[in-house]
Amino acid sequence: MLRLTDLYPVLSLFLRVQRRGLLLGAVLAAATMLAGLALLGLSGWFVTATALAGLSAGSALAFDVFAPSAGIRFFAIARTAGRYGERLVTHDATLKILATLREKLFRGWSAPGAARDLVKRPARLLFRLTADIDALDSLYLRVLVPGLVAFCAALTAGIALAFLSVPLGLAVGLVLLVGGNAILFLAAGKALRPAGRRLIALEALRARTIDMVSGRTDLVMTGRLAAARAAAVHADERLGKAEDRLNRIETGTLAALGMLGACLTGGVLLAVAALAEAGAITAPVAAFGVLLTLAAVEPFAGLRRGALELGRSLLAARRIAPRLSADVEVPLSQQPAAGEALRFDGVTAAHAGAPHPVFRELSLAVERGECLAVIGASGSGKTTLLGLAAGEIPVRQGTVASLPSTLMTQRTELFEDTLRDNLKLADPDANDGRLWQALADAGLKNDIAALGGLDIVLGEGGLGLSGGQSRRLALARLFLRDTPLWLLDEPTDGLDGPTACDVLDRLAARAAEKTVVIATHLRREAAIADRIVHIDRGRIIEISRRGEAAFEMALQGLRPD
Amino acid sequence: MDHSARLSADLDDVAGKVRPQVRDALAPSSGKPSRKARHRAGPQSRRPAWLQVVAALLWLPQAAAISYAIGGIAENGSLQDAFLPVAVVVVVGCLKVLLDAFAARLAFLDARAILSRKRADALQSLAARSPLDRSAPASGLAASVVAEQADMIVPYLSRFQPARLKSTVVPLVIVAAVLPFSWMAALVLFISGPLIPIFMALIGWRAQAASEKQLVRTGSLNAFLLDRLRGLATIRALGAVDRTAIRLAEEADSLRRRTMAVLRIAFLSSAVLELFAALGVALMAVYVGFHLLGHLDIGAWGGQLSLAEGLFILLLAPAFFEPLRELAAVWHDRAAGEAALKALDELAVKGSVLLGGGDAAATLAATRCPAPSVRVEAVSFTHAGRTEPTLQAISLAVAAGERVALLGPSGCGKSTLIALIAGLAAADSGRISIGGTELTAKTADRLRRGIAFVGQKPHIFAGSVAANIGLGRPGVDGVCRDKAMRTVSFEEIARHHGPSPLGENGVGLSGGEVLRLALARAAAGEDAGLVLADEPTAHLDRQTAAGIVDGLMALSQGRTLIVATHDPLLAARMDRIVDLSSLQKEAV
Repeated sequence: MLRLTDLYPVLSLFLRVQRRGLLLGAVLAAATMLAGLALLGLSGWFVTATALAGLSAGSALAFDVFAPSAGIRFFAIARTAGRYGERLVTHDATLKILATLREKLFRGWSAPGAARDLVKRPARLLFRLTADIDALDSLYLRVLVPGLVAFCAALTAGIALAFLSVPLGLAVGLVLLVGGNAILFLAAGKALRPAGRRLIALEALRARTIDMVSGRTDLVMTGRLAAARAAAVHADERLGKAEDRLNRIETGTLAALGMLGACLTGGVLLAVAALAEAGAITAPVAAFGVLLTLAAVEPFAGLRRGALELGRSLLAARRIAPRLSADVEVPLSQQPAAGEALRFDGVTAAHAGAPHPVFRELSLAVERGECLAVIGASGSGKTTLLGLAAGEIPVRQGTVASLPSTLMTQRTELFEDTLRDNLKLADPDANDGRLWQALADAGLKNDIAALGGLDIVLGEGGLGLSGGQSRRLALARLFLRDTPLWLLDEPTDGLDGPTACDVLDRLAARAAEKTVVIATHLRREAAIADRIVHIDRGRIIEISRRGEAAFEMALQGLRPD
Repeated sequence: MDHSARLSADLDDVAGKVRPQVRDALAPSSGKPSRKARHRAGPQSRRPAWLQVVAALLWLPQAAAISYAIGGIAENGSLQDAFLPVAVVVVVGCLKVLLDAFAARLAFLDARAILSRKRADALQSLAARSPLDRSAPASGLAASVVAEQADMIVPYLSRFQPARLKSTVVPLVIVAAVLPFSWMAALVLFISGPLIPIFMALIGWRAQAASEKQLVRTGSLNAFLLDRLRGLATIRALGAVDRTAIRLAEEADSLRRRTMAVLRIAFLSSAVLELFAALGVALMAVYVGFHLLGHLDIGAWGGQLSLAEGLFILLLAPAFFEPLRELAAVWHDRAAGEAALKALDELAVKGSVLLGGGDAAATLAATRCPAPSVRVEAVSFTHAGRTEPTLQAISLAVAAGERVALLGPSGCGKSTLIALIAGLAAADSGRISIGGTELTAKTADRLRRGIAFVGQKPHIFAGSVAANIGLGRPGVDGVCRDKAMRTVSFEEIARHHGPSPLGENGVGLSGGEVLRLALARAAAGEDAGLVLADEPTAHLDRQTAAGIVDGLMALSQGRTLIVATHDPLLAARMDRIVDLSSLQKEAV
C-alpha cells in the first residue's frame, strides 16, 4: 500500500539540495495567486463603489480614485512578474534536484549487488530509473506548489469573506478545502490503478522496442520480426487503454471542480444578496465577495494533474528511496601478505539464488609478478574465480585477499561514445599519445587510423568494429590501467592466430611487472603462464609449474590455433 | 454556414504545419497516403474544438447573471430578485463544464488514435532497418522516442486545435458582446487582442527551435544511461564508476541548462500574455470606474453605463484574454509535440533495409526444402558511410549439400558476406541465388524459412531458455525444442537454468552457452536446408568447440552449410575452405 510517508526521504533530499529555491518558488507562487485574487476582488469593489459614488456629483468628486486604481495596476503587474519568476525558480530548482538525483542513483546502482540485479533487466530498470526521476518532477511542481497555492486561496477567501460574515467565510473556506480536497483525493485514488497499468504498458513498449531493435537479426532469421513488431504495437494498445482511463478521470475531476465552483459562486451570490438585504454589507463589498470567490476556485483546477500523478510519484519515491540511502559499500578487500598478490583461503561462493555453491573451500595463493593460467571446461568456475578476486562476487565463507586489480571481462563492452572516451574510461588523464601507444600495444593502431582516428563514434555495442577489433580495444583499455593485478577472462578469444600471438607477446611484455591471472581455454594464452591451475566443477584438480611434465600435459589438452 | 466554412479554411492554413506529419502518420508504409486516412484527422478533430468554443461562450450568460444580481443588490433589491440569476449561474455553469469535459474527451480520443498510428509506423520502419546499417537508431534512443518522447504528442494534438479555435472565435464574440454597451471598451479589447498572437508567435517559434535542441538531448541522455548501465561490469572493472557518474551529472546539468533556455522563452511568451491580460482587466476596471464616476463620459454611445453593464464588461475582460493565455500554454505543448512528431518521423525514415518483412507467417508454409545450392555472383557491398568497399565483386558457388568454410582475417568481410546471403541487407551490385531462386525483397522471407542462422552476437531476449529457443515460432513445440537442444548438446545448460527468465543480453550465460543457445535456436527451425554460421566457435573452449563443431555437423547433415570462421579445426571439418581475402584479390 502506498503511503504519503513514502515521500519523506525524497522530500528531505529536495530540501537538503535546494532549500532556498524550493521555498522561494512556493512563496512566489502563493504571492502570484494572492495578487490575482486581489486584482479581481478590488476591481469588482472599485467598479461598484464608483457606480454608487457616481450617483451624486458631490460624492463623485470626493471619491478617492487614485489609491484603488493604483492598487489595481500594482496587482496586475505583480501577478505577471510573480508568475514568471515563480515558474523560472520552481523549474530550475526541480531540474537541479533531478540532476543530483540521477547522479546519486547511478552511484546507488553501481554497487556490486545492485549492479548485478540491474544488469539482469537493464532496459526495464533504466526506464524505471529515468521515469521515476521524471515522476518526481511532478511532485514539487504539480503537487506541492499547487497544493500550497490552493490552500492559501481557500484560506484567503475564507478569511476575507469572514469580514463580511463569519459564517459565510467559514462556509466558503470549508467548502473549498473539504470539497476541493475530497474531489482531488478521490481522483488520486481512482488514478492509482490505471497509472500503474500505464507504467507497466510503457515499460513493455520500451522493452519490446529495445528487443525488436537489438534482436532484429535473430528475429528476422526466424521469421518473427513481424510478430515482435506486433507485440510492441500491442503494448501501445494497452498503454492507450490506460491513458484513456486516466483521461476520463482527469476530465471528470475537472468537471466536478467546475461544478463545485459554479455552485459556490451561486451560493455566495445568494448569501451576499441576503446580507445586503439585511443591511449587513454594501453593494461594493458584495461585488468584492463574489469576484473573490470566482478567483479562489481556480487554483484547485491546477491541482488535478498533481492528483492524478500522486500515486505515480509515491511509487517512484518508494522505489528510489532505498537507492538514495544506500551507502555505496566499498568492499574493503584485504591486503595479501607481502610477496603475494592474491590469496583465497577456504573460499565458498555461490551465484545469487543458486542452491549449490560454485566453489567449496577453495584455497589458492598467487605470488607477485607471477602469471597464472586458470583452465577448465566451460562452466567449471573460471569466470567466478576472477569475479571473486575482483570483489564482484561476494564470498560466503573464507577470505579473499587481493591487490588492486583490473578485470577484463569475457564480454567486451564498448560504449556509444568516441573511441577516445571509450579508452579514457580506463585512464581519464591519458593524453592522445598514451592512447595511441595503448592501441599500438593491442595491435589496433592501424585499424583505428584507417577508420578515422580517436574521434570516431562507436555505435551501440561497438557496432562498426569487428569482434576481434572490439576485443583488442578492450585490451588497449587494460593496458591503460595501472593496477598491479590483471585479471583476464579469455583475453585473445576471437582473434585470429597471428594477431593473437602478436597481442600475447605484447601483453607478456607489458605484464612483466604485473601479476596476471588468465582464465582461458586456449593453448596460446596458457602458454605464457608460469603456473597452470586446472579446475573442474569448482575444485582444483591440478596445479603445474612451467618445466614440469604436467604443465606440458595441461597445455596439450587445450585448444591450439 | 458560410462563416464557419471560411473559418475552417483558415484553420486548415493554421494547422498546415501539423497536417503533413499527421498525413505521414496515417500513410501506410509503402505507397501514397489514402484519402480516407488523410481526412480522418481533420474534420473529426474540429468538432471537439467547436464544442469547447461553445462551452467557453457559456461564460457570457453567467457573467450577465452575476452582474445583474450585483446591480440588483446595489439598487437595494430583495433577496428574491437574486434567485433567477443564481439559478442561471449554477445551471449554466454546470452545463459549461460538462460540455467542456465532453469535448476534451473527444479531442483526446482523436489525438490518441493518431499517436497509435504514428508509433506503429515508426516501429514498422525500425523493424525494417538492416542490421548492417550503422546509421540505424540505437535501441535506447529508439525506445526513448517511441515511448516517452511520443507521449508529448497527445497533449499537443488534443489541446492545440481547440485552443487555436477558441482564441480565434471567443475574443471576437466577446468584443461583439461588449460593443453594444461601450464602443470604448470594445475598442480597448479589439486593439490589444491582435497584438498578443503576434508576440506569441514570435516567442513561440524561438521556443520551438530551442525545444528541438533540448529534446534531442533527452533521448541521447537516456541512451547514454542505458548504454552505461549495460556495460556496468566493464565500468566497475575499470574503476570508472565515479567518472561515469560525474559525466552523467554533467550531461544532466547540460540538459537542465538547455531545458531552462527553452522554458525561459516559453514562459516569457506566457508572461507577455499574462501582462496583457492583467493590464487589460486593470484598464477595463479603471475605465469603467471613471466612467461610472462621471469623469469619463465618452465611449457608451452617448449614454451612461449602469453598474450591471459595467460589471458585465469587467467580467468579460478576463474571459477575452483567457483563450489567448490557454493558447500560450499550448504553444509550449506545440513545440514539444512537434519536436516529438519530428523525432518519431525520423525513426520512420527508411534507410537501408532488410530484404523482406521478416514475417514467416505471411509466407507459404514451405515443405522442408532439400539442401539448396548457393550462388554468389559478382557481389559488391560498401557499408553506409564508408568509402572502401567491404566486398568487391565476390563470386562464390556452393553446391547443394556442400559444407564450406569462409576463411580470412578479421574485418575482411566474412560476416558481411554471410549477412548478405541471409538477406540482412541488399548487395550494392551482383546477384545471390539460393536453390536457384534469386534473393530479392520479394523472395527473402520465403528463402529465409529455409535458412538457419547462427550469428556472432546472438541477442538473448528477456524470457526463459525455452522461449529464447522457440522465439514463439509456430510449429516449434516442446518436442522440437528438445530435439534441437539434443542436436547441439544444450540440454544440460537448459536444465540448469530451468524455466526462470534469463538476464537481458544473456547475463548469466557464458559466452559458450549463448552460442549454443543460438545453435539450438537455429536447429529448431526444421524447415531449413541451408545453415549460415558466423564464427560459431570463436568463444568456446576446445572441448565445447569440438562439441559445437559436432553439433554444427549434425545440424547441417543433409543440408548446405556456409560458415565464416578462423578456427582451423572447424575449417578442417568442412568439405571446402574458401579464403575470402584471396577471392577479393582475384576479383580486383
